[in-house]
Formats: sequence, structure tokens, C-alpha cells
Amino acid sequence: MARDYDHLFKLLIIGDSGVGKSSLLLRFSDNTFTGSYITTIGVDFKIKTVNINGQKVKLQIWDTAGQERFRTITSTYYRGTHGVIVVYDVTNGESFANVKRWLHEIEQNCDLVNKVLVGNKNDTPERKVVLTEDAQRFADTMNIQLFETSAKDNINVEEMFMAITRLVLRSKLDMQERQNDRTQNDTVNLRKTNKQGRKKCC
Amino acid sequence: MYATKQPSLRIKQADLKCKNGCGYFGNADWEGYCSKCYRNHMDKERQRKSNQSQHGDHSKATSFSKFEEKKRQQSDKKTKYFLPVFRKPSSLKETGRPEKYIDIRQMNPDADKLLAEFISAYGEWGEAVRKDFLKCVHSFTSKIIHELDFKSADELADIAQNYYNSYNNRLNNNTVYQNVTPDVRDKLLDFFERYSMVGLYTFLFCPPSTNDEDKDLSIQDRIRKLSWVNAHHLDCCISETSIEVRDLVYTAINDLLGMDSMKAPQEKLACVVRCCRSVVEVLQHCQGGPVSADEFLPALIFIVLKANPARLKSNMLYVTRFCYGARLMQGEAGYYFTNLCCAVSFIENLTAESLNMAQQEFEAYMSGEVTCVSAWESALVACEGMHQLCEHLSLLKGLSERMSAVKDDTQKLKDDMRKLKEEINDEVTSVLERTPLVIKPRKTIFPLTMEFLKSLPPLPEKPPIPDKGKEVEINQDVDTAPKFYQQNITLTQMGLSDNKPKLQLDITPCVNLPSASVVKPSLSTDFLSVPSPAADKSIESITPDDNSYLGLSKINYDIDFSDISAENSIIEDLGESRRSPTMSFTPDPFSPMGTGCPIMQSPLVPSAAEMPRVEVPPVRKNDFVLPFLEEIEKEDTKKETLLDKVEETPTICLPPPIKPTEYTGFSKQGSRIPSIPCNTGDVSSLNLQQSAGSSKDTN
Repeated sequence: MARDYDHLFKLLIIGDSGVGKSSLLLRFSDNTFTGSYITTIGVDFKIKTVNINGQKVKLQIWDTAGQERFRTITSTYYRGTHGVIVVYDVTNGESFANVKRWLHEIEQNCDLVNKVLVGNKNDTPERKVVLTEDAQRFADTMNIQLFETSAKDNINVEEMFMAITRLVLRSKLDMQERQNDRTQNDTVNLRKTNKQGRKKCC
Repeated sequence: MYATKQPSLRIKQADLKCKNGCGYFGNADWEGYCSKCYRNHMDKERQRKSNQSQHGDHSKATSFSKFEEKKRQQSDKKTKYFLPVFRKPSSLKETGRPEKYIDIRQMNPDADKLLAEFISAYGEWGEAVRKDFLKCVHSFTSKIIHELDFKSADELADIAQNYYNSYNNRLNNNTVYQNVTPDVRDKLLDFFERYSMVGLYTFLFCPPSTNDEDKDLSIQDRIRKLSWVNAHHLDCCISETSIEVRDLVYTAINDLLGMDSMKAPQEKLACVVRCCRSVVEVLQHCQGGPVSADEFLPALIFIVLKANPARLKSNMLYVTRFCYGARLMQGEAGYYFTNLCCAVSFIENLTAESLNMAQQEFEAYMSGEVTCVSAWESALVACEGMHQLCEHLSLLKGLSERMSAVKDDTQKLKDDMRKLKEEINDEVTSVLERTPLVIKPRKTIFPLTMEFLKSLPPLPEKPPIPDKGKEVEINQDVDTAPKFYQQNITLTQMGLSDNKPKLQLDITPCVNLPSASVVKPSLSTDFLSVPSPAADKSIESITPDDNSYLGLSKINYDIDFSDISAENSIIEDLGESRRSPTMSFTPDPFSPMGTGCPIMQSPLVPSAAEMPRVEVPPVRKNDFVLPFLEEIEKEDTKKETLLDKVEETPTICLPPPIKPTEYTGFSKQGSRIPSIPCNTGDVSSLNLQQSAGSSKDTN
């Protein structure tokens, strides 16, 4: 495909309202590191192209409403999502407690999806409630990579987005490889179709 | 029949089970059956239809509107389930198919328009591309139409998605499209979808095999019941009272409503995108910063609630089914459409909890026991007029403010003008106060002129001689003393018009000045009555001199010369004033009455004139001038001394007006010029002396 990108991924940012999902998105899209910032349509929807290992990856990042009452309906957002960024506020213990629920939400809606855990607002140590050790322990048990970021001071934001992009890219390439292997083996695999179908959620 | 099908707000477990009672869960899209029972049901249905078609005695029913047709089809279905015995020969599907096919190709003006658009936009890529495109479209549409009656909407959607994908592959792999650029390939794919969907819209939008329409009605009813929900309930920061925000909300609502009028799924999506952009704009307007999903979704829910779009569910399902899947999954359109889906599902599942209110309160609102009137409600539902009134009031307020500003300005301008007027008045009065000072001397002088006029009587006695007409007058004057003055005035006035009479008149007063001054002390009546004999003498004695004097009009030239050459005009004036005959001539034309005299008699003149006098004729001239002044100021006292001096002065005084150098020059030219004035002066003075002497004698 002679397009301006090699891969197109859809990322979702979820988390309680007020944890700084939009700020992270804004920080990421307004910075002009390797990628080229394409367009702004509000903050809730961003497109950004980044370069990973010489491959142009176009990221579409969807912001979601974090309010409790929208939790059940946001399932629609998960359709076709490649990666999910779960955000909590390090100065707000409740938001961290809710992370479990958000992860459960992801499990309900998607089978195969890459996730990262992000503790945002990590810029004022005196106000920090969620300790890094606790968060790290939790992340390890859930087998998720943890990032502590600050959208305000631009700490770790780019790294976090690049990490999730790399994860998504790797899993996609793995899947392609597996598919190629199967076609080469010329074995009839019923699960193959299932796998492809599973990429879609719901 | 809708009552039975209308999904209740609270769904019980039993409602979700298969209609057949097989124990599995059913699905609304499968008409309440589970997948297995539905398939069986559809098979039965098809069989029955084929039986019906064998009978083939049913009308085509082309006159029915689509809506009625659909309704009947649905009712047929249900009657078939429940009362399989009463089969109606209703299906026009078999027979209708060829008609429909014709419809697509011939009866759809939109499709024709699109074809023209296609040719204009993509004609450049060659005939092969066009042919292939149309071939694919036709195969797609005919396939859909063929399957229309036998497949459910979701199956049709799968067929459509497969066709999209295959056409996409064809675009990227087929040799026909190898020259086409990637951008255009994408556009061609879009166009493929658009063209075929515009053609198939009537069959695929809200297809009879689904209960989309019921869903529409239920959501519409639901939204109507929730009309009391306002932005506050949704924790949404839309400021309902702001006019700008309200306008933006209206545009958003219009865009959302416009979705129903579009035919192609991508056009409907474009409407959604426009609507959502307006919503984002609203939020930016309200909170003045970047908009996050936390604020966007409630705002969109609010817009959907207020818009209550027609056939909302049908439109959404149509887009979901027949829009190219990849587009729905990604991009701006996908994001906003997803949000719209979320908003609608939120509305469907809305509870008291989700609005953060008590169950009782929520139920009271829902049942209409309590009505909530917000600014938005008053504007949108109750009284648009009120809303307009508010706008007009604010407009009027602005206008009145501007009016008062204009009024203030006008008042200010008025004040300024009045001030200016006052200032000008003050200026004028001040100037007037200053100027009268200048004028007053004139007034004070006026009596002098009167005296001068009085002094005139002796003069006429001398001049009349040259002109005989005036002699007559003078005689008359002599006869009637009081009239004389008046006539004399008239004469002087006449003198203005003619030069020659002027000359004479002018000469006379000037010559007589000394005499006049002399006369004044004496009572005018006495003087007038008495002098006549003496005047006769004087006339006799003067006449020759005067004639000669008149003849020597060159004296004028003297004056001219002096004017041109003179550095000091004052000196000349003085000279003129001293040299009575010539001097008197110049001032007269300006004002025969007043000016001639003031200049001669003005106290200023002599003081300035003193300088030249000192230079040329030292003592005597001073003597001469001073007495002259004294004559004005103190006429009575020095009669004799004046007279004596007058005798002497003319001879000596005459030269100074002409500058010494010039004078010498004149002397070089001829002895006549200097000599003549001397003579005249002498003569006059002599005459005057005589007359004075005579007057003295008389006195």
C-alpha cells in the first residue's frame, strides 16, 4: 500500500474522569518529536504518525468518557481497538482502585489487546498517594507494563505512548508471522479464522 | 401490534428467551428466536412464499406507498407466525423483483447524477476503469436485490462488506486499476459504496425483514419522555442562555437531523461528524479550553435528546451494516459515530442513577407529574417567541445604550457649540471694546469736521472763481448762510465723483485752514455775515494765483514723486499737511468729511514729523508745527501769533515735503517747480494775511 503509513493502530485511553486522559493525549499530540502532528479535532480524537524501527505507524487515539455512568456504554469504543491505555491518578487512591474495574471492562470487550498502566499527575511528590511500589506490584500481577507520567511536566509521556505502540506493532507482526507459518504449513486450522475474527471486539 | 413488540424498559430474563421456548436466548434481530429456530423459521417462510408464487394470483399493488407495503409485510409475517392458517397472498417479492431492478437503473435520479459525477471525476482514468466500476456496481446491486427477500439485513450487510472488500482488492490488484493513484483508489472505493448504496437505499434502509422501525419509534418515544432532561442533569457545561451557544447547538441539531435525508452511509456519517464538530465547538465556547471525552459525550447526549432525530435507530443500523467496515472502525467519522452509538445506548438505558437523582424524582419526571422548565425548554419547546423576545430585548438594550451615547455626544456637541459661540462673542466684544478706542478719536474728531465745515464758508469765497457755476452757488451761499454748509457738503460729496471739482474744493479748505482756525474763535454768524466784502477782495487777489495754481497741476506730480521715492511716508504726509494746497488734495477722496481733517490735525503726526523738520529748517518749522497743533487744541488763544507765523511758514515749509536731494533735482530740471509753490504759498498766505487782517479789522 503506497500510503503515508505502514501500520494504522487504534489506541484507547480509559480511566476515571479527571485523571488526565485528555491532558496525556494533548501532551502527546502537541509534541513534535519523531512523528508529524496531523490534525486536531477537539482533544478527544487525535491522529499521530510515529516512527518505530523505520516503520511509519499511524496512531489514532480515542479519548473516552470516564464517568461512572458511562462505563457500561463505552463498550462500543473497544471495537477494533489495538491497544488500551489505562490511566489512574497517583494523587487519587480511588482512581487506582478503579483500575481493576477498567481492566475487567477490557477483558469483557476484547480478547487480544495490548495494555499499559499509567499513573498520571506524577509531578508533586508531596501529594502522591499511590506509591510506585504498590502500583508496580499490581502491574506485575496483572502482567502489565507500568508508567508513571506527568502530562503537566511532560515526564514519560512520549515513552509511554511509544511503548504501547511497540507492543501493538510487535503483536501485529507476530500474528502476521503466525499466519504466514500456517499458510506455509498448509494445514487446515479452524482456529485461524477465529483468531482473525477475534481482532474485532464484541 | 406495536404494543406487543415495543420493548419494555425493564427487560426480564424470560423476555430474552427464544420465542419457540427452546430454552436458548433469542435475539431481537432474529425476531425473538434463537439462531437455530430463526433459520428454521426462515426456511419455512421461504417455502411458503414459493407456494404462494405458484398460485400467483395476487395483485402487484404498485400503488401502495412503500410505508404501507412495509407495514403489511410485517403484519404478514406476524400473522404467519401466529395464524399460519390465514395465509394471505400478499408477497409481491417474486413479482416485484424485476421492477425493482429496473428502478435502480432508470428510476433513480440520484444514481444518474452520481454517474455523471463519476464520469466527470474519474473519466480521466479511462474507459476500462469506468466499465469495470459499473460492472462491479451492477453485480453488487443485482446480487443484493436477488438476495433481498431471502436474507436478513445482517446477512445482506455481510454480502455488502464482502463486495466492498473484494472491490478494494480488485482496485489494488487488478490490471485495470494499475495506473490509478492510491488516493483515487480510496475515492473509487468510497464512490463504489456511495453509488451502489444510493441505488439500493430504498431496499436496504429500514428493510422489511427487520424491526428497525419499531426501534425508531421506541427510541423516539423514549427521547420524548426524557425531554425534561437538561444540561444540568447530564453535568454538561452547555450554557443554555448564551445566544452564541444556542446557535451552535441549533446547527449541531440540524446536522444530526440532516442525517435522515442522506442516502449513502458515508453521507450520513458526514452529517454525524459535522454535528459532533459543532458540539466540540459548543464546548470550546462554554469552557474555553480543549475538549475531552468526559465533556463531549454528555454534550452529545444532550444534543441527541434535544434533536430527537427521525428514524435514528434505522439510520444508525443502516450505517453500521452498509458502511465500509474499515471506515467505521477508524478515523474521525468512526470515532464520532461510536460516540453517537454510546449516546443512544445511554439514552436507552438511562436510569435515575445515571442522572444522579432519586428514583422517585426520576419517576415523577418520567410520568410527567413534575415538569422541569429550563431556559432551554422555554426556548426550544414552550416559547420560541420568548427566546426571541429576550434576544430583541438585549438588542434593544444595546440600541438604547447607543442612543444614549449618541445623545450624550449631541449634548456635548451642543455645549461645545455654545461655548464656541460664547467664546466668539467674548472675542468679538473684547475686540469691540478694543476697537472703539480707535474709533472714538474719530468721533471726537467729528466735531472738528463740523468746525471744519463751519470753517468752510470763507473758502468758497476763493475757489468759486475758476468755475463760474460755483460762483453762483457761493453767491447763494452768501445770501443764505445756513444753507451754505449743506450745499458745501454736497459739493464735497460731488467732488468724489469728479476730480476737478475735488481739486478746487480741496484746495480751498486747505488754503483756508489757517483762516478757518482763525475764524473759529469769532462767532460764526458774525463771521459769515461780515466777511463777505473782505472775501471779495481776497477772491480778486487770489484768482490769478489760483488759476496759475490750477494750471500748474504738475504739483500732483510732485506728490507722486514723493510717494514713490519717499522712505518716510509720514514725512511726506507732514509735508503735504504743511503744504496746505497739495496736501489737502490727497486725503480728501477717502473721506471728504472726516479723514481729510484728522490726518492733518491728528496730534500724532507732528511729533513724528519733527525729525525731518529739525534737519532742514530748524527753528521755524518747529514753530510752525507747534502753532498748528495749538490751533487745534487751543484755537482761541493765539490768533495773531499764528497768523504771523503762517505768513512766514509757507515759503519755508514747502520745500521739506520734497526731499532735499529730489528738490535739488527738480531745481536742476527747472526753477519753476520750487518757485511756484513758494509763490502760491506766499500769495495765499498774503491773501490770508490780508483777509485775516481784514477780519481782524472787522472784529
